[in-house]
Amino acid sequence: MNKVNLILLIGLYLICANSKAQNLLIEAESFINKGGWVVDPQFVEQMGSPYLMAHGMGIPVTNASTRIAFNEKGMYHVWARTKNWVPGNWDAPGQFKIIVNGKALKKTLGVTTGWSWEYAGKVKIKSNDVDIQLSDLTGFNGRCDALYFSTSKKIPSDAETNLDAWRKAKLGETIAPKEQKAYDLVITGGGLAGCAAAIAAAEQGLKVALIHDRPVLGGNASEEIRVHTLGIYGKYERILKMIDTKHYPNGSFEARYDQEKRDRNVKSFKNIDLFLDWRAYDAVAHNNTIKHVDARHTATGERIRFTAPRFVDSTGDGWIGFWAGAEFSYGRESASTYGEAWDEWGELWSPEEADNFVMGSSVLWQNEKTNEVHAFPQLPWASSIAKDHKAIAGEWYWEFSRNDLHQIHDAEEIRDHMLRAIFGSFSNAKKLEENKNYKLQWVSYLVGKRESRRLIGDYIYTFNDVKTHTKFKDAVVEEVREVDVHYQRNLKDSKEPDFLSEAIFYETEKYYIPYRSLYSKNIDNLFMAGRNFSCSHIGLGGPRVMLTTGQMGAAVGLAAAICNKHNATPREVYTMHLEEYLDLIEKQQ
Amino acid sequence: MYKSLAFIALFFIVMGFRNQKKRDYNPMFFNMTNELKDIAKDEPVFKFEVKSLDTAYSAQINHDVRLLSNSNGEPRVFFSDIETSVCADGECKLANIKVYWNLLGNYVGYGIHPELPLTKYEHDTFEREDYAKLHQLLLDENSILKRRKITDLIDKIPVSPSNIDSKDLDGISGATKKEIKESVVKGGLYSCYTLWHIVHGEAKEKIKTYLQSINTPALNTYFLYAPYRDYQIYALKQLNKAEFKEHSKQIASIFQSTDALTRTYVLKKIPEDVLSEQRTTSQFYDVFPHIDINSRTLLIKKLKDANSTAVEIVSKHVGYMTKNQLSMYLKYLEETYESLNGGVKYNLIKASNSKRYAYSYLIKEYLKNR
Ligand SMILES: Cc1cc2nc3c(=O)[nH]c(=O)nc-3n(C[C@H](O)[C@H](O)[C@H](O)COP(=O)(O)OP(=O)(O)OC[C@H]3O[C@@H](n4cnc5c(N)ncnc54)[C@H](O)[C@@H]3O)c2cc1C
Repeated sequence: MNKVNLILLIGLYLICANSKAQNLLIEAESFINKGGWVVDPQFVEQMGSPYLMAHGMGIPVTNASTRIAFNEKGMYHVWARTKNWVPGNWDAPGQFKIIVNGKALKKTLGVTTGWSWEYAGKVKIKSNDVDIQLSDLTGFNGRCDALYFSTSKKIPSDAETNLDAWRKAKLGETIAPKEQKAYDLVITGGGLAGCAAAIAAAEQGLKVALIHDRPVLGGNASEEIRVHTLGIYGKYERILKMIDTKHYPNGSFEARYDQEKRDRNVKSFKNIDLFLDWRAYDAVAHNNTIKHVDARHTATGERIRFTAPRFVDSTGDGWIGFWAGAEFSYGRESASTYGEAWDEWGELWSPEEADNFVMGSSVLWQNEKTNEVHAFPQLPWASSIAKDHKAIAGEWYWEFSRNDLHQIHDAEEIRDHMLRAIFGSFSNAKKLEENKNYKLQWVSYLVGKRESRRLIGDYIYTFNDVKTHTKFKDAVVEEVREVDVHYQRNLKDSKEPDFLSEAIFYETEKYYIPYRSLYSKNIDNLFMAGRNFSCSHIGLGGPRVMLTTGQMGAAVGLAAAICNKHNATPREVYTMHLEEYLDLIEKQQ
Repeated sequence: MYKSLAFIALFFIVMGFRNQKKRDYNPMFFNMTNELKDIAKDEPVFKFEVKSLDTAYSAQINHDVRLLSNSNGEPRVFFSDIETSVCADGECKLANIKVYWNLLGNYVGYGIHPELPLTKYEHDTFEREDYAKLHQLLLDENSILKRRKITDLIDKIPVSPSNIDSKDLDGISGATKKEIKESVVKGGLYSCYTLWHIVHGEAKEKIKTYLQSINTPALNTYFLYAPYRDYQIYALKQLNKAEFKEHSKQIASIFQSTDALTRTYVLKKIPEDVLSEQRTTSQFYDVFPHIDINSRTLLIKKLKDANSTAVEIVSKHVGYMTKNQLSMYLKYLEETYESLNGGVKYNLIKASNSKRYAYSYLIKEYLKNR
C-alpha cells in the first residue's frame, strides 16, 4: 500500500470512530438561564468565544442552567473548558461544579493553569431532555467557556491549539453568516463616539446600524464601567446632551440614571437599528474598501453580515480597521518622532526611544456602608498583588500597564490583575475597625481602556497641535480640557503598588482636531471616532475624554451624510465638500 | 544704647554681605548627603519674584537665588532665603523659609529662622510633624496643589471619610479632596499652598536655565556618580556612546540600585558593544530576580545584544518570568539555538518540574515539541 492510501485509511477510521461516539459541544454563554453568571465577551479574539463568569464579589452566584436535547442515552464523560485564573500556592479562587439532572459531577473545576479542558466526571444520561447547571462555589470569578459531553473518554484533543476551527466544525458553522443586512452606515462600538455618530447620521436621514457588544450603550460611560464624561460639547451640544453624564465621581451608582437617558434617546431614532450584545468579529476589504462587517450575538452565537458603503470604527480598539488592513499605531512614539518632548517629565512623558508603554486600563469599584458588620475573607491569591495596600473604593488611578502586556491581547490578564488588586486591597482595609460595616457594592468586570490601537488617518494629531492651538481649516472638534498622560507609580518608586497610576497634566487653551484625523489613510470607506482616532500617544492625552470623543463621533456622522449625498469618500469630504460639511456642522448648534 | 544697637545691627549686615560664606547652612530637612559640608562660596546668581496670593494686597517681592559652591569652586546647591506673605480671608502673615534646590532645580530641603516659626490658620505655630509634612509636600513635584487655584480649595475641606456620600462639587471629586487633605498640614493649607508654588515656580525654571550656563563634562560626571536618581538620569541622558562605555561600571551599578524608570532608560540606551562585554552582561543579567518586571522584559528583549552567557544566566531565573516574558524567552531560544546548551536545558527542565512556577506547563510543552 502506498503512503497516500494509508493516510486515507487512517482518516476514514477516525471518522468512523467519531461517528460512533456521541459528543456534544455546549457554549456556556448560550445557557438559557444565566443565573448570577455574567457573559464575558471581552476577550473573544484571544479566547475564540465569550464565556460565563461567576462575578459574585466573594459570594457564590446562583446557578446558570440550560436544557439540552441529547440524541442518545448512555454514559457520558464531561469536560469543561475553564482555567484557574490565579495559579499559585493557594486554593484556586474561581471554583465551580457541573450539575447534570440534579446530580453534581465528581470533580471541582477551575483548577488548572491556562485555558484547557478539565475533566468533570461521568454521568449516565437516561432521558433525552437533560438539565445542566453550573454551580459556583466561591463567588470569585470562576469561568466556564464551554462544556463537552462525549461517550468516549478521549479528552477533546487539539481543541486547545486550534479551537476556533474545531468549534466551527462542532457547531456546524459555515464561513459566511447566512443573514445579511444593508445600511447606509455601519457603526461598530457604542461608546460615546459610536452613539454620537449614530445620532448625527440618523438625524441626517441615513439608515444606520450600531453594533455594540454590550446590553447597554456608552462604553466607558455606561453604568457597567461608570466613568463620567469630561470635556466640552463643541458644536454638538444638542446631540451630546442626549448621551453624556453628570459629573459624579467615577464609579458612582448615579451612572444608572444617565444610562436610562442614553439608551432611551438612541433607541428613539427609527432609522438606527441597534444591535446590542452583538460583537463584530471580522471586516473584509477588497481594493482598500470594506465590503462587510460580520458580527455574532454574544450569547446565542447567531451571526449577521453587515454591508454598507461606509463604516465607522468606534470600537476604541480599532478592530474594524485592524481586520480590514488599515494602518495603525500602538505604543509611545519616540520624543523626536513628532517633537513631543517635555523636559520636565522626560521619559515619563515621551521616551527617547519608542516603546509599547501605553496608558493602562482600569477596573472601577465601589463600596456600600451599611448598618451591620460584614466580613470579607483574607485572600492569599489577591494579597500577592495588593500587598499591604488598603482601600475601600477605586478611582481613575486604579490603572494597570506593563511593558510585557498588550492592552488588547492581554486584556484578560490586565482585568484579572485589577480584580486581585481590588479584592486584596479591600480585604486589607476590612481588617480595620473603621471599615467593619463596609461591603463591596459593585466591582466592574469590564476593563475600562484608555489607549490601544490608533488608526492612522490623513493627519496624525499630536501634542504640538495642542501647544500651538493649530487652527486647522477642517477643524471639526474643539477642546479646552488639559492634556493628561499617565504613568505607573511603581516606575518611580518600587514600593508603590503596580496597579496605581499618576497623571501628568498639561494646561492649555482651546485646541482643535481636524477632520483628516477621523478617516483612514488607506481604507477608503472607513471613518474612525473615539480613542482610536488618528493621533500620537501624547496626542491622545487630551482628546480621549468622552465629550471630545463624542464630538468626533458627531463630526463623523455628519461627514457620512455628506458622503451619502455626493456618493463621495470620506477623504473627498475634505478635498471637495469641506465648506458644505462645515456649514452642516455649524447648523447643529 | 539705641545707637550702639543700631551700630551692631549695621555691623552684622555689612559682615553678612562681605562674608557670605560664614552663613549658617543648617536646614531642618535636607535630602542630600554631603553637599552642604564644604560650602566656600555663596553668590547671588539671579532674582525671582514672589507674588502674594492675596488679591487685596498683591505684593511682589524679589528674592535672590544664591549658588553655593564648595572649596574647589564646584557648584553644589541653590538657596534662597524667602519672606512671603501668606494670606487668608484678607488677613496676611509673613512666612520665612530658607529653601534649598539641587542643581537641577529640584527641591531638596528647607530651614527656618528659629525665631520666625511657620504658622497655621489659627496663628498656631507649626509642630515638628507639621514641618515634616511640609517637607514631604514640597518633595512632591506633582502635588495635587499644582493645578488648583487657592479659591478652589477653600471651604471644601475637610471631607467626609467615605467617598460615596461626597457629592461632587465644582469638579473636585471626593477622592481629590481627600488627597488634598492628606497632603497638607492640618490648618496650614494657605502656608502649604503658597510655599509649594514658590518652591516649584519661577525659581525652579530659572535654575534649570542657569544650569545650562555652568554645565561642564566634569559636572556631568559628578551627576553620574552622585547617589541621587534625578542626577543620575540627567547625566545618563547627556552621555554619548563612548562615554557610556567609559562609565559602564558606574552605569551597571546604577542599574542595580535605581528605579524602574532609569533602568528602562539604561537598557534602551546601552550600546551593543557595551552590553556584549561578558562582565557587563553578568552585571546586568545577574540581578534579573531582584529588579522590576518591566526591566526584566527589556533584558529578555536585549538578549540578542548581550554576551552569549546571558541566555544561560536568564535560564536560571525563568521562574521569575511572567507568562509573556517566558514566551519571549522561549521564542528567542527557538530562533537562535539549534540545540539547547546543556546548562540552559538543565535549568529549563528544572523549571518545568517546579510546583511553584505557574507557567511550568508551558516549558514542558516547549521541551516536548522540540
Ligand atoms: C478609569 C478611567 C477613567 C477615565 N476618566 C475619564 C473621565 O473622567 N472623563 C472622560 O470623559 N473620560 C475618561 N476616561 C477616558 C475615556 O473613558 C475613554 O477614552 C473612552 O474609551 C473613550 O470613548 P470611546 O467611545 O472612544 O470608547 P469606549 O468607551 O471604549 O467605547 C467603545 C465600545 O465599543 C465596544 N466594542 C469594542 N469592540 C467591539 C466589537 N468588535 N464589536 C462591538 N462592539 C465593540 C466596547 O464594548 C466599548 O464599549 C477614563 C478612562 C478610564 C478607563
